[in-house]
Amino acid sequence: MIGLGLRTLLAKEVRRFLRVPGQTVLSPIITTTLYFVVFGYSLGSRLREVEGVPYARFIVPGLVTLGVVSNAFLNTASSMFVMKLQGTITDLLVSPLSYGEVLAGFVGAAVIRGLTVGLLMWAVAGVFTGFGVAHPLAAIGLLLLIAVGFSALGFITAVWATSFEQINFFPTFIITPLTFLGGVFYSARMLSPGLRRFTLLNPLFYLVDGVRHAVLGLSDAPPAAAVAIAAGLCAAALGVSYAMLRTGYKLRG
Amino acid sequence: MGDPVVSVRGVEKRFGGFTALAGLDLDIRAGEIFALLGPNGAGKTTLISIVAGLLRASAGTVRVLGRDVVTDYRYTRRHLGLVPQEINFDPFFTVEEALRIQAGYFGVRLSEERLEEILGALDLAAKRHVNARALSGGMKRRLLIGKALVHAPEVLFLDEPTAGVDVELRQQLWRYVRTLQGRGTTIVLTTHYLEEAEELADRVGILDRGRLLLVEDKAEVLRRYARKTLRAALATPLAELPAPLRSLGARLEDGGRVLSLDAEPGESFGPALAALAAAGLAVQDVETQRMRLEDVFVTLLRGERP
Repeated sequence: MIGLGLRTLLAKEVRRFLRVPGQTVLSPIITTTLYFVVFGYSLGSRLREVEGVPYARFIVPGLVTLGVVSNAFLNTASSMFVMKLQGTITDLLVSPLSYGEVLAGFVGAAVIRGLTVGLLMWAVAGVFTGFGVAHPLAAIGLLLLIAVGFSALGFITAVWATSFEQINFFPTFIITPLTFLGGVFYSARMLSPGLRRFTLLNPLFYLVDGVRHAVLGLSDAPPAAAVAIAAGLCAAALGVSYAMLRTGYKLRG
Repeated sequence: MGDPVVSVRGVEKRFGGFTALAGLDLDIRAGEIFALLGPNGAGKTTLISIVAGLLRASAGTVRVLGRDVVTDYRYTRRHLGLVPQEINFDPFFTVEEALRIQAGYFGVRLSEERLEEILGALDLAAKRHVNARALSGGMKRRLLIGKALVHAPEVLFLDEPTAGVDVELRQQLWRYVRTLQGRGTTIVLTTHYLEEAEELADRVGILDRGRLLLVEDKAEVLRRYARKTLRAALATPLAELPAPLRSLGARLEDGGRVLSLDAEPGESFGPALAALAAAGLAVQDVETQRMRLEDVFVTLLRGERP
């Protein structure tokens, strides 16, 4: 049974991003659609197939993963940081919500936004490449873990950050490059041995690869690696977030 | 007298090398209005923030209704309301939504009746569906007060509630504070306006550089510390005071037209009035003035008295 306090926080956080749908939901879909049209549809017709799958279809799981990762991250990061900046964090800090409830409210809303964007992106892509999913439950489960992990990472960043610059640092300089270099647009098998070794060091590669396995049924790495990395990220990021709330780090003086 | 609703014991707060609170003990009694006074940086907001859970004390304990504010925070916060000094608002929501959300955080479903009561008391009824962003500064402050009241707290902390608020609203807020007290709410307020404390408070605490200089009934503070001054307007200006009056400490002011004399609290002006009559001086008018809380406050902070 979820208490009224948590339900209120969750509903408020969801309403917050729905009040600016152009920025929070529509914008990532348009960006991804452009990637899809440019890299998948126009260039893809020349590239034909990757590992027996049309190129346009091959890039869908990676783009969906990128959408889920960045939207889950940005929702908690921006909401929490703006609350700190505007002082409305006081409303939460004086409330009897438990640390777990506060975390669940922020992470829950970010997961809803991340998965909504991911689902819409998949639906847009599906119009062009078909809607078939090899392992639907695995796809949902893995994306859920990814969304939880990155929303908690966004929470940590927002609590720690003192400027918008720091909030933007993580998605711009870490998440997006690692995802792009993590095989969104290519298979690791297509790379030279040196680049392939480099790619295998990138944790985002395993997540993209895991989602691709769930959606298309093909993968470069063992799918269990994706689950292990996503679950590990969730445990670590949730643990650190909870510890921050419990100790009041940068929140309670 | 029952148990204190808020009990502060040995509370210290350090920010790096700076000591904001230096081992404070304070009890707040049920149903009283307690004014916490002190200059900027005295530690008033720090103390309130520790009780409300916005800050963690470096040492010491705070209990609200007998429970510890750190280990039993869910219980204590349910019974506390805080109106913070800094105005904050969420630009995504209207006045009604902001109040309903805040109530929800406290596990309270705001009834229509209760919502209307809060909106009415704070004169916000006409702004119910207006986005908080579009409110004036005074209205945003009223919304803050509304948010602190949604869960009907037993103890309400008002941190500089009338800073930057016009006279009319200030009077209206004072009336509402008294109404809340009438319903049994305990109120702790910090203020820069000493007249506010003098008007409202049952007890006052004077805080300076993290230490409580004094905690007492307001009336007792005034009785003990507030000197009185007698001013007698003379019918004919005097060049020199008669000796008996001079020996009592009287002085001439205003070109010899006014005779004035100070008396310590509890001291009578009787001998002075008798000496005036004995000297055969014609007096046109007599007034006595008593130091206001503000003067007592300044005197205490200067360390002129214990």
